[in-house]
Amino acid sequence: MQRFDCLKKLAQVAGDALVVSSAGAVTLEWNALRPGDGNFRVRTLGLCSSIALGMALGLPERRVIALDGDGSLLMNLSSLPTIARMKPKNLLHIVFDNEVYEASGSKKTATGAGTDLVGLARAAGIENAQWAESVEVFAQVAERALKGDAVSFIGVKVGTERAPVGPYPMDEVENKYRFIRYVEKSANIAILKTNLPASYD
Amino acid sequence: MKCALIYPIFGVNRIATIQRRSSLNTTAAAQIIVNALRGAGINLVATLPDINLSELLREVEESRELIHVPVCREEEGIGICAGAYLVGKKCAAIMQNGGFFNSNNAIVSTLLQYQIPLLLLIYYAGDVGDRTFSTTGSLTEPVLQALGIRYYVMRETEDAPELIRRAQILTEDSKRPVALLLTKELLGRRPALKAL
Repeated sequence: MQRFDCLKKLAQVAGDALVVSSAGAVTLEWNALRPGDGNFRVRTLGLCSSIALGMALGLPERRVIALDGDGSLLMNLSSLPTIARMKPKNLLHIVFDNEVYEASGSKKTATGAGTDLVGLARAAGIENAQWAESVEVFAQVAERALKGDAVSFIGVKVGTERAPVGPYPMDEVENKYRFIRYVEKSANIAILKTNLPASYD
Repeated sequence: MKCALIYPIFGVNRIATIQRRSSLNTTAAAQIIVNALRGAGINLVATLPDINLSELLREVEESRELIHVPVCREEEGIGICAGAYLVGKKCAAIMQNGGFFNSNNAIVSTLLQYQIPLLLLIYYAGDVGDRTFSTTGSLTEPVLQALGIRYYVMRETEDAPELIRRAQILTEDSKRPVALLLTKELLGRRPALKAL
């Protein structure tokens, strides 16, 4: 199974969900399939699930999708019990598990030695956690999760192939501003404010 | 005895009186700090306990205006606060300085790299007068300085509202984290009374 094929299915059902993607190729592939300012690229390995949790808690009426990897989640396993504790109904946490640190020289991760990320998620208290064994099953489970009202976790075992895609189109600071402006507009809220100069007082 | 000098006792049970007084102080200090956070517009707080933060975290937990996110590791809290900021929340992360060290990669490659503001409330373990974690204490300010994070050591509870208000303005304006170091006396706790 290829990650890119799963992402194609996800792009069909993601709607206006905010999408946070882990450091690595998944970000580039997702941006090629659903370009736009509702995507946020994470640069700190491991932090994808936590940043997505913060968004889900901060904007509970909006769907948030975390596109995580095995190396990333293994670095921040403690995010699983925190997600389970906070139970954000609007969060879908997807982990593409290719069993290697793909962006760091393809060394084997612990999942390549048998660690079961879905098992860890369930044990942490995320009841709605499952493996998707095929692209079709992934599409069904993801769509159901996005319509449901409980935090969901989907694991997908994928190969190490990368789709031929372009670079990410902006740096971190521009990503931040565009993302925030997109949230402001689509959720009809004001986030970034400035003040009049003191001479106007 | 020294404690009798510092805490003059007029009654029967000196220890109980000190404990009662200390407990009153810690609760009052915690309420002052949480009220100040709310007054500064903070509405989401990620926390990890230290014994000296007990009353403060209880007040955070009990506050209806605050979304409280108890984390398992402090670096998570940095991510949670960054994510919440991106969708419009004003956040604070409360931790011990050991947890600040745990958070450094996220502070650098998320907060500083993306220019995301965050109020860091860091319990100053190993501060002068504290008996534990002196190495952590000795390295706390140098690490904050190395990261270019502006910080203030808070000792007077009555100054807390103004400092918290100003720190929130500074983090928003600079789009960088700002740290407030919470000392024992700020939190209404007694520093160690005498050398061993």
